[in-house]
Amino acid sequence: MSTVLQPVAASRSFGLSLRQTRAMAWRSTKETFRQPALVGPSMIFPIFFAALGASSFSRATSLPGFPKVESFLQFSLAATVVQGVLFGSVTGAAALATDIQNGFFDRLLLAPTSRTGILIGRLAGSAIFGAVQAAAFIAVLWPFGATIKSSFGGALVMVLSGGIVALAIGSLMSAVAIKTASAEAVQGTFPLLFILLFFSSAFFPRETMSGLYRNIADVNPISYLVEGMRELVLVGFSTSAMAKAIFIPTAICVVAILIALRQLRVRLASR
Amino acid sequence: MSTMRSAGQISLRNLRAIPRLPSAFFPALLMPIFTMIAFSGTFYAVTKIPGFPTDRSINWYMPIGVLFGSSFSGIGIGFTTIRDIETGFYDRLRMSPAPRNALIIGPLFTAWMRTVILNLIVVPIGVALGVRFEGGILAVLSLLAASLGMSTLSLGWGLGLAYRFRDMRAAAIMQLSIFIGLYLTSAQMPLEFIDGWLHHVATYNPITYILYLARQGLVLDGTSHDMSWSNTWPGLLAIVVLSGLALAFARRGLDKLDK
Repeated sequence: MSTVLQPVAASRSFGLSLRQTRAMAWRSTKETFRQPALVGPSMIFPIFFAALGASSFSRATSLPGFPKVESFLQFSLAATVVQGVLFGSVTGAAALATDIQNGFFDRLLLAPTSRTGILIGRLAGSAIFGAVQAAAFIAVLWPFGATIKSSFGGALVMVLSGGIVALAIGSLMSAVAIKTASAEAVQGTFPLLFILLFFSSAFFPRETMSGLYRNIADVNPISYLVEGMRELVLVGFSTSAMAKAIFIPTAICVVAILIALRQLRVRLASR
Repeated sequence: MSTMRSAGQISLRNLRAIPRLPSAFFPALLMPIFTMIAFSGTFYAVTKIPGFPTDRSINWYMPIGVLFGSSFSGIGIGFTTIRDIETGFYDRLRMSPAPRNALIIGPLFTAWMRTVILNLIVVPIGVALGVRFEGGILAVLSLLAASLGMSTLSLGWGLGLAYRFRDMRAAAIMQLSIFIGLYLTSAQMPLEFIDGWLHHVATYNPITYILYLARQGLVLDGTSHDMSWSNTWPGLLAIVVLSGLALAFARRGLDKLDK
């Protein structure tokens, strides 16, 4: 009898956990979109920088080492997506820190919910927001000349990649949020993301860089992530582009989620 | 108590806050260093575009970094003022017999001193990283004049907003407006290389001319950006007009706070 009941119970428990995670994800998504003051900058600034770059660097596209592009805006589309998603992912983690600060997280822990569901639900909200951001940047910039050579298929991959990047960075930031329980500490990590982004090939091709700066960009994973997306925009579908745009953020994501879960376990054990 | 004596005491208090609360000053110091390194590394190749006014990308990008830092030295005092208003300390200052102008001149002295400290740190770092002052000592003085000007107008703007909003909402507006104001110039590329909407905006943005003043001693002789009176007076005029307006905005805000 127990051999029959056990899989049923396990499946029920999994289903329940999934429903709880979905509810947490839904709450997190609604919470993000209800705070335009938090969401706005991560949507507006990347577009502002894209417009700024398109006007400033139009002559740079003829430099030796610069890839063949229709416009600088087309070149900068991938960077705009990654930049927006990186900045946006801080918002979700800061909200988690706020939940810890105001005691809501403790109430969740007291409820008969899955511990992992609390975290994964929050992260899923960040991933959804990241994908929405990517779609919005593509939709806004495409009519102004940021055409995607791999068409709608490529755009879909970029949206998916945006979601995974948000999940990856959101997980890392959530680990900070769980450890420090401080929204200020999470916001304080923002400059690190900015530095990581700038010391990559996000804004200019690696082929035009030199010296130590080039060496740093060569080892920075953000360079390869952006270049994968950029290949989808400038060249078209290819296995290498897909691998860079999907597998690099997925690999970071797996490690980051493990770090965040470990941090959660440490927090729970210390209580 | 005279205006200058009161201003001196207020300025001293603000300066003492630097070692006590370094997190309020460090961003203003780190920002120009980061901007200088990141921009000159990322956009290194733009100097190879025919007609670019310098062959050193760090020469082109250091002034914008310094102006960013100077602006944040000014609005950083705006942040401190918001905190003082929120904690009630500012009410005590207003109730004291100190002249009203001292409440603006004191922070102005602090902004200038912070800007000088910033230049004393950032310029040698820039030189160590390869900056070459083509215009000699005059080039250094031009950069200093431009950065003091930016800190003055940012301080006036920051104080004016702090007096009106009286909470941290003002901090976001201060940062955003200064950030946008500085970027909508020839911050990244020479004006003649910029196309479309940004060219028009940058041409009419007075901060572009403050940037010309800051940069003129760092570009090669014979280019339209080099050291000349025609690249000096528009910048000085922009500083005088914008600073005057910003300080008047601050003074009116202080009067409103009193009412």
